[in-house]
Amino acid sequence: MKTAARNYLIFLWRCARIAFVGDWRYYAWMGVLTLFCMLGLNAYAKQFAQGLVVTGMSDQVSWGVYIANFTFLVGVAAAAVMMVIPVYIYDNEELHDLVIFGELLAVAAIIMCLSFVTVDLGRPDRFWHLIPGLGQLNFPASMLSWDVIVLNGYLLLNVHICGYLLYCRYQNKKPARWFYIPFVFTAIFWAISIHTVTAFLYVGLGGRPFWNTAIVGPRFLASAFTAGPALIILALQVIRRVTHYTITDKALLTLRSIVQVSMLINVFLLACEVFTEFYSGGLHIASSRYLFLGLHGYHALVPWIWTAITFNLTAMVLLVLPLSRSLKWLNLTCVLCITGIWIEKGMGLVIPGFIPTPLGEMAEYTPSLNETLVCFGIWAFGLLCYTIFLRMSVPILQGGISKANEKEALVNTIFAVTEAPK
Amino acid sequence: MNESTKTARVLQVLVGLFLLLAVAFLLNLWGRSAPRPQIPLVDPKFIDPATVRQSYADITAAKGDLSDFDCYGCHDKKKPPTLRFDGNQTLIIPQEHSDIVMAHGSHNRNNNCFNCHDENNLEQLQTRDGHQVSFADSPQLCGSCHGPTYRDWMAGAHGRVSGYWNHNVGEKTRKACVSCHNPHSPKFPGRQPAPPPHPLHPLAKPSGSTEGKD
Amino acid sequence: MSDKLPNSEPIPALDQVGMSRRSFLRTSAVVASGFAALAAGLEPLRNLNDFPTLERFMQKYYKEMTPEDMARVLKRIESEVEQQYGVRPHVRDYKPMDGVEFVYCLNLSRCIGCRKCVHACVAENNQSRNPEIQYIRVLQMPNGSFDMEKAVHDYNPEQVPEKGHFYMPVQCQQCKNPPCVKVCPVHATWQETDGITVIDYDWCIGCRYCEAACPYWARRFNFTKPSIPKEKINPNMSYLGNRPRRQGVMEKCHFCIQRTRAGRYPACVEVCPAGTRKFGNILDPESEVSYILKTKRVFTQLKEELGTSPRFFYYFDV
Repeated sequence: MKTAARNYLIFLWRCARIAFVGDWRYYAWMGVLTLFCMLGLNAYAKQFAQGLVVTGMSDQVSWGVYIANFTFLVGVAAAAVMMVIPVYIYDNEELHDLVIFGELLAVAAIIMCLSFVTVDLGRPDRFWHLIPGLGQLNFPASMLSWDVIVLNGYLLLNVHICGYLLYCRYQNKKPARWFYIPFVFTAIFWAISIHTVTAFLYVGLGGRPFWNTAIVGPRFLASAFTAGPALIILALQVIRRVTHYTITDKALLTLRSIVQVSMLINVFLLACEVFTEFYSGGLHIASSRYLFLGLHGYHALVPWIWTAITFNLTAMVLLVLPLSRSLKWLNLTCVLCITGIWIEKGMGLVIPGFIPTPLGEMAEYTPSLNETLVCFGIWAFGLLCYTIFLRMSVPILQGGISKANEKEALVNTIFAVTEAPK
Repeated sequence: MNESTKTARVLQVLVGLFLLLAVAFLLNLWGRSAPRPQIPLVDPKFIDPATVRQSYADITAAKGDLSDFDCYGCHDKKKPPTLRFDGNQTLIIPQEHSDIVMAHGSHNRNNNCFNCHDENNLEQLQTRDGHQVSFADSPQLCGSCHGPTYRDWMAGAHGRVSGYWNHNVGEKTRKACVSCHNPHSPKFPGRQPAPPPHPLHPLAKPSGSTEGKD
Repeated sequence: MSDKLPNSEPIPALDQVGMSRRSFLRTSAVVASGFAALAAGLEPLRNLNDFPTLERFMQKYYKEMTPEDMARVLKRIESEVEQQYGVRPHVRDYKPMDGVEFVYCLNLSRCIGCRKCVHACVAENNQSRNPEIQYIRVLQMPNGSFDMEKAVHDYNPEQVPEKGHFYMPVQCQQCKNPPCVKVCPVHATWQETDGITVIDYDWCIGCRYCEAACPYWARRFNFTKPSIPKEKINPNMSYLGNRPRRQGVMEKCHFCIQRTRAGRYPACVEVCPAGTRKFGNILDPESEVSYILKTKRVFTQLKEELGTSPRFFYYFDV
C-alpha cells in the first residue's frame, strides 16, 4: 500500500515537473498564455470588487459573453468524447491513443465552462449553496442544478479515465478493462447528457419564445459535434508537429467525416428553424427578426449571424467536396466551422433571447473591455491546462516518462534519497 | 542562435513583460469604469399620496379653513340667487365665483348650478328628486346620477382605498368623490409624469428613430 | 495481475533535468516577476465593496433557521443598517397569515401613467437610486392593442395621459405557477402560502436564471452596491422584504410584505391618484378584489397562455 502510494506520488511529481520543461517555443507559448491569464485575473478582480456593473450586462440583457462561451464550450467538451465512439464501439484502432487527447480536451473545456459560470455569478462566495447536502440544490426542478451535477460528474469521469490509462501506460501495465471500459461507455452517454441539459436550460423558459422550441436541443448537439471534432483535428496536427507523436492522416479523415455529417445536420436544422419562424410569423418571432433582419432600427447582431451562416455554409460545401481531404483545405474548413458555430451558438443564441425583453423593450448588449479580458483570460487558462495535459501525457504515451526510467529521472531529488528497497 | 540562447531570450522577454504588466495593473491603465451619471432624486410631489383636492369632510377633519362654504357670508338667506345666461344659452359665471369653470357634462348639459346646489338653502346640496344632501355626504349626490360608479366606489373598486385591507387590524378609508374630481369640471386632470426610468448602461437609440415604434 | 506491454525497453527519461546555476536564476526571475504581476493584478480586491464576514458566509437558509437564529440575524441586520446609514431600523420577520391569499387588480381604464406608483415603491422598499432599480415599469400602449412590442417605456410628455394611449404598469405578478421558483438552483426564491413569491437575499447566488425565466421582466439584479441616500431610508423593514440588499443578489416586488402582512395596503396602492390599483385578500368575500372579480366582465391576466397563473388581474370598466 505504501509503495503504491509512493509510486503514484512519484508519477504525479514527474508529471508536474515536466510541465515546466520545454524548448523556447514552449516557454513562449506558456508565457503568452500566462500573460493573458493575468490580464483576465486582474479584470475579474475588478469585477469581484465592483460587481457585474463593469460588464455590459443589464436587467434587460442579463446573460452575455460569459454564458455564451460557457454554452459553446460545453459543446466542445461533449464532442471531445465523440471520438470515443469510433474506437470503443466500432473498434477503430487508428483513433485509439488519440482518445486520450480528446478526453483531455474535454477536461480542459469543462474547466473553462466551470470558470465561465463562476465569473458570471453575482455572489461566487456563496457557491457552497449549490452543494447538495450542505446547501439547497434545487434538484430536479431546476435545470441549472442538473447542469452542476452533470458537469462535475463529467469532469470526474474524464479525469479518472485519462488518469487511469496514463498511469497504466506509465507503469507499462495493461489497464484492467473493468476499471475503465464501463466509465468510457458512461462517458459517451454522459457527454450527450451534458449538452442536452445545457440546451434544456434555455428550452425550459416559456417566457422566451426564441428559446422555447424543441429544436434547440438537437441543434446544440449537431453544432457541438461539428465544432468539437474540428477543434480536435486542429489540435492533433499541432501535437503532431510539436511532439512528433504518430498521428496518421487516416485518423484526421475519420474525424472529418464526423464533422461532415454533423455540419450537414446543423445546416438542415438551421433551415428548419428559419422556416418555422418566418413562414408563420407572428409576434413571438420578434427575437428571430432582431437576429436575422434587425428590429425597430436595432441591428447589431445582423452582420454577425450572416457571417456565421456564410462560414457554416462554406464549410459545409467544402466538407462535402473531396477538396477538404487535403489538410490545407481541411484546416480552413475547421476554422470556418469553429468560428461560425461559436458566433451562432454564443451570440446568435444567448443574446437574441433577451431582445426584445418580455415587455417589448429594445436594449442591445455590447461586452465591455473588462468582460472581454476575463473571457480571454479563461480561454488562455483553458489552453494552458490543455497544453500542460499534453506536455504530461505525450511523453508518457511515447515512453519518455515511464516507470522503467524512473530511477535516472529521480537523481538528486528527495525521492531518490528516500527510495525504498525494491 | 542555438536552442538554449533562444530559450534564454524568451525567458528574459517574459520577465520584462510580466514586470510591465505589474506596472500597468498598479497604474490601473484600462478598464476604469466611467463615473455613473447623476440621477436626480425624484421630486417629493411624486410620492405624496395627498389628493389634488380636499373634500368638505377632509377640511373639517383637518380643522382647516371652511370659509369657502360660508355662502351666507355674502348671500341673503331670504333671496335665492338668480342665474344669468348669455345669447348661446351658456351660463354666465358671476365674477365672485370666477374660479369656477362649468364643465360637468359636455354640450352644456349640466349648465345650471341648481341642478346640484339648493337655491333655497345654499349650505346644502340637492338631488334631482328633491332630497337634501349635506356637503359632508356629497357622494350621495354624485351617486344619484352616477349609479354604477357609486356602487363601485362603495365596494372599494372605484377611487383609491387606503389604510388597512385587514379589517381585524384597522380601518379601510375611501376618499369622497370631490377629493379627486372637481364637481364643476369633474374630468380627471392630466398631470406631469414622473421621470422615465434610467438604464444601467446608456441604451443606444437606433439611427433615425422617433420615440414611438412602427 | 495485468501483463506487461511488449517493447518495454526503457527509453531514456525525458524529464531528467540538470539545473545549472544560470538557468536556476533565469527560472527564478521568471517566477518572481510572474508573482509580482499576479499580486499587482489582484490589487483591485483592496476596494472590495462587500466581503462577507464568516457569520454571513455561514448563514443558514431561511427555511432552516430556528426562531433564535432569525432573532440573531435580524439584530445583526439592524446593526449593519445602522452602521451604514445611521438609522436604526426595525427589522421583523413577518409570517404569512392563515386564510389569506393576496390578489391584485389593476384598472386599465383609470391608469394615467403618472409613475407615482413607481417612486412610492422605490421610497418604501429602499431600492437603489443609482444604479436605478424600479420594480414597477409603466408601459404606454396605443389604444387597441396589447402588443408589448408597441409599448413605449420612456414616455415623458408634458401631460399624461396622452390621447390615443392607455397605460399598463407591470410588476411581479406573484404567479401561482412561478417559472422563477422552478429554475432557481438554490431555492433562494419560493412562493409563500399567502401568494407572495419571496427571495432570501442572503441565500441568492446571483446566477440570474430567474431573471431570464420571468415572462414579465419583473426581477432586478444588483449589478453593484446599491446606493440609497441616508435620509431616504425607510426604517420599517422585513427580512424577506425591504431591508437593504447587497451587491450581486436579485430583488423584486414582494407586495410590500412589511406592510401587507401587517394588514396595510402596499405603497403603490396608497399613492395612486386615480384609484387604479386594488389589493386585498381574495379569500375574503367582502374585499374589493373579490367584488371586482365577481362583477367586472372584462379582465385579463398578462401572457395567460404561458400557464404562469398570475395573481394580477387587469380589468376595464369604461
